[in-house]
Amino acid sequence: MIKNYFKIAWRNLTRNRAYTIINVLGLTLGVACCILIYTLIMHHLSFDNFHNNKDRIYRVVSEYHDGDESGYNQGLPSPVGKAIRNTTTFAEQVARVISFDNELISLPKEKEVKKFQEPSGVAFVEPAFFSILNFPLVMGNQSTMLSSPNTAVITQKLAKKYFGSEEAAMNKTIRVENKTDFIITGVLKDLPNNTDRHQEIYVSYANLKDYSEWMADDANAWHGTYSECHCFVLLKKGVTTATANAALAQIVKNNYEGREAKARKYTVQPLADIHFDTKYDANTDKKYLWALAFIAVFLITTACVNFINLATAQALNRSKEIGIRKVLGSMRSQLFWQFIAETFIITFFAFCLAYWIAKMTVPYLNSLLHVEMELTFFRNYQLLLFLPLLLLAVVFLSGSYPGLVLARFQPVLALKSKLSQKHIGGFSLRRILVITQFAISQMLIIGAIVIASQMHYSQNADMGFTKDAIVILPVPDTTKVKMNNMRDRLSSLAGVEKISHGFSPPAAQSNNSSGAFYNNNPEPEHWSANQKTADNDYINTFGLQLIAGRNYVPSDTAKEYVVNETFVKNLGLQPKDILGKNISVNGPNHRFPVVGVVKDFYNLSFHSKIEPLVIYPDYGRYQNCAIKMNMNNIKSLLPAFEKIWNEEYPDYVYSYEFLDDKINKFYELDVMMLRLIQIFTGIAVFIGCLGLYGLVSFMAVRKTKEIGVRKVLGASVPNILWIFGKEFSKLLLIAFVISAPIGWWTMHKYLEDFVYRINIGAGIFMLSILATFAIAVVTVGYRSARAALANPVKSLRTE
Amino acid sequence: MIKITNLEKIYRTEEVETIALNKLTIDVKEGEFVAIMGPSGCGKSTLLNILGLLDDPDGGSFIFNGVEVAHFNERKRADMRKHNIGFVFQSFNLIDELTVFENVELPLIYTGVKPADRKKRVEEVLDKMQIMHRRNHYPQQLSGGQQQRVAVARAVVNNPKLILADEPTGNLDSSNGNEVMELLTDLNEQGTTIVMVTHSEHDARFSHRIIRMLDGTTVTENILI
Repeated sequence: MIKNYFKIAWRNLTRNRAYTIINVLGLTLGVACCILIYTLIMHHLSFDNFHNNKDRIYRVVSEYHDGDESGYNQGLPSPVGKAIRNTTTFAEQVARVISFDNELISLPKEKEVKKFQEPSGVAFVEPAFFSILNFPLVMGNQSTMLSSPNTAVITQKLAKKYFGSEEAAMNKTIRVENKTDFIITGVLKDLPNNTDRHQEIYVSYANLKDYSEWMADDANAWHGTYSECHCFVLLKKGVTTATANAALAQIVKNNYEGREAKARKYTVQPLADIHFDTKYDANTDKKYLWALAFIAVFLITTACVNFINLATAQALNRSKEIGIRKVLGSMRSQLFWQFIAETFIITFFAFCLAYWIAKMTVPYLNSLLHVEMELTFFRNYQLLLFLPLLLLAVVFLSGSYPGLVLARFQPVLALKSKLSQKHIGGFSLRRILVITQFAISQMLIIGAIVIASQMHYSQNADMGFTKDAIVILPVPDTTKVKMNNMRDRLSSLAGVEKISHGFSPPAAQSNNSSGAFYNNNPEPEHWSANQKTADNDYINTFGLQLIAGRNYVPSDTAKEYVVNETFVKNLGLQPKDILGKNISVNGPNHRFPVVGVVKDFYNLSFHSKIEPLVIYPDYGRYQNCAIKMNMNNIKSLLPAFEKIWNEEYPDYVYSYEFLDDKINKFYELDVMMLRLIQIFTGIAVFIGCLGLYGLVSFMAVRKTKEIGVRKVLGASVPNILWIFGKEFSKLLLIAFVISAPIGWWTMHKYLEDFVYRINIGAGIFMLSILATFAIAVVTVGYRSARAALANPVKSLRTE
Repeated sequence: MIKITNLEKIYRTEEVETIALNKLTIDVKEGEFVAIMGPSGCGKSTLLNILGLLDDPDGGSFIFNGVEVAHFNERKRADMRKHNIGFVFQSFNLIDELTVFENVELPLIYTGVKPADRKKRVEEVLDKMQIMHRRNHYPQQLSGGQQQRVAVARAVVNNPKLILADEPTGNLDSSNGNEVMELLTDLNEQGTTIVMVTHSEHDARFSHRIIRMLDGTTVTENILI
């Protein structure tokens, strides 16, 4: 019986090729997207889940709550880690990890001095780090490798890059930032692609003092929080997070006083949350994964809807076969299973194709999304389970209804071809299904338009400062002579308009904040102020607008301050009122007068609100050199910058970045989401079009006689086209009524993440319905026109 | 074998009620060959559908082989049908996607006959119908007469007690028509009961008895032998 099912299924499918191709293509695209989305979601969910004690591993994180002001930081003052080890009992192991990105590594003892700029940087770690987290070693002894000062562990990849092999790397020397030498005592197996720990060089914690004296000072560094100063703990078995958090509260109580003791809070963050908690340093938002999961369901639903639609439309053509089978004694259930077998063949074939397409697409998706996913069916038990389950779900979702319709046919009517639309569920069911497809497509189109508009707004809106034609060069050495030399040499180049040294550009992802003291108040305000340290060319170079007072005078360190409008508003003052008043940041002892107020500019991305800000000089903290140039000279300037920079900083590796590119990186996640939505919208629309084309073809065949009669009675081609147009326009409008509010609500929620955002205006909805309408016209137009232009004599004879 | 008493079938639409069978009473004995004749719309096909358990009567009694089957549910009807009744249609009703062999094999699949046994029985019947050489052809590759022989082969492969033939020669020329009638006569002579609906007086003369119908009921019966 089963053999017979498959035999007839195969013959049916090969005979109705167009129907089969539309179904296979639709299902293939839907399933391929579903596999890719599943892989992407599972990839993110797998982050750091390979550590042996993953359920007991936590990171200690900071919170700050002072009045209305709240802040969250994944980092914490370095002494907290030591206090956990020495004064609490909840942790079995404690390890501090302090990392610095984009470090210069050189190999001083090799024949030829080699320099490498390592974007993933260097981490100073306590030895327990490798007992808490499981990163296997290929060489070295885990218990001793980082216990002595000036020791380092690097990954296999770096060992090969620096020295040719893991063996050759052992006991060799690397130099970090031209300052400190480390002997390699261990080589780590290359880090898996599903970990958030991305450093590839780990050095002994004892050397932190050579790198950052204040951070290594366990007695006094309680008040500064560096976002990359992390502390991992392995909780003792049976210890709850509540116990750990209570012990951390005690540390706050013992080590802070006054308002700081009330405001500071340390808590443990489960390892599994690190990848997703965007309050801290996670850059993967679970809600985006959910959105993708919904899109996957949408795509599969659209493909299944196609299948149901076409299969039920085709059912009439199979009425004779069904009638005969019933006459010969077939039960309803047998007919049902026969159809399910057919659906299985189509779906199985589509799955094989989809898997192949997905596998081919993964590398492109990896580069698009900056991830390293793998798609291996037989080595991934989750996929091994997911795909068959999805296959079964699709088979039954698509095949059940048409199967039931077919099995329900009255044999007498079926044999005499007297079955009509009403026997296959009438047009109403297929109308509902087409409406569902249109609604899904429109929702995705609305989503794509809103995200694209917001991205366009984010990338092109006036941020309140000049971001075009500005190149940022790193400043690896902040000695005054070096910086002056650089400035003089760069200024002499034709096409260089302005130059400014500073900590960061006006909008940056890394910012320093501290409490602000106004006038002679001994207590800081209830909010913290963002600090921009820069020379006095900063305001001119970035085109910041002074709305009161003047720029500060040239100086090496703070003597005067310039603040922004928000700073003034937070104090409840008018810009002119603050001029001449003393303020202090970085503690109460740096009180200097405010001499100017600049118009607010976006000092973070549009995801965040504008913060109060203080600008002042402090040359020791400058990290960037911003050069405003004439873009006509770009071809000669860029090589000249490199030449001068390399001559001034021969021990470092040159790099440069345009400011607008740097700012666009704020929206990397949104741009990725936009690309994905655009791709999947395109696919959903295409699948919908396939179904629509199949349906209109079927409609055209069923209406051959009607069209012939109408034409004989004098109907024009537009009259005939309207038969089709009327039907689909009605469905499209109903779909719009459903999709518009859902789309509005969803995108409204999405936009809530942007403090500065676009309005979802009527134009977006008009565009979405027009786009759907245009797509529908293109899809049904050709087939409808062919039906309308057919010779009525021929169509009546055919009928 | 068949005893129907006061059988009624009414087709209803929203506005019209059509009485297809009006208190019809007929007996068919085992081994009999009965022809049913009458003008279009007199209820012949409706009667045949009810006899074939393809349709439900609205009233009256239908006893098949001593069992009241008038109100059987679909499952019981399908079961009764596949074990006891064979059908021959005017338009052959072969499945286009199956070969001659597979078409004839189909009833055996539904009655759960094992593959080896099925092969033997299909080959026997194809041989008997003289279309063995066409076993791997598809229906559209055969002439009308050959298609009807396949349909007859399919009707008899399960050794049914009753064959219902609905204008079996309606789509055939006279030569092929005669061949089919002779096949049916042979089957009848071997003990199979046959009820045939026909418009053809010529075909009806192959039967033992002609029942003439008008407006859903019998008007005359002619016994030919």
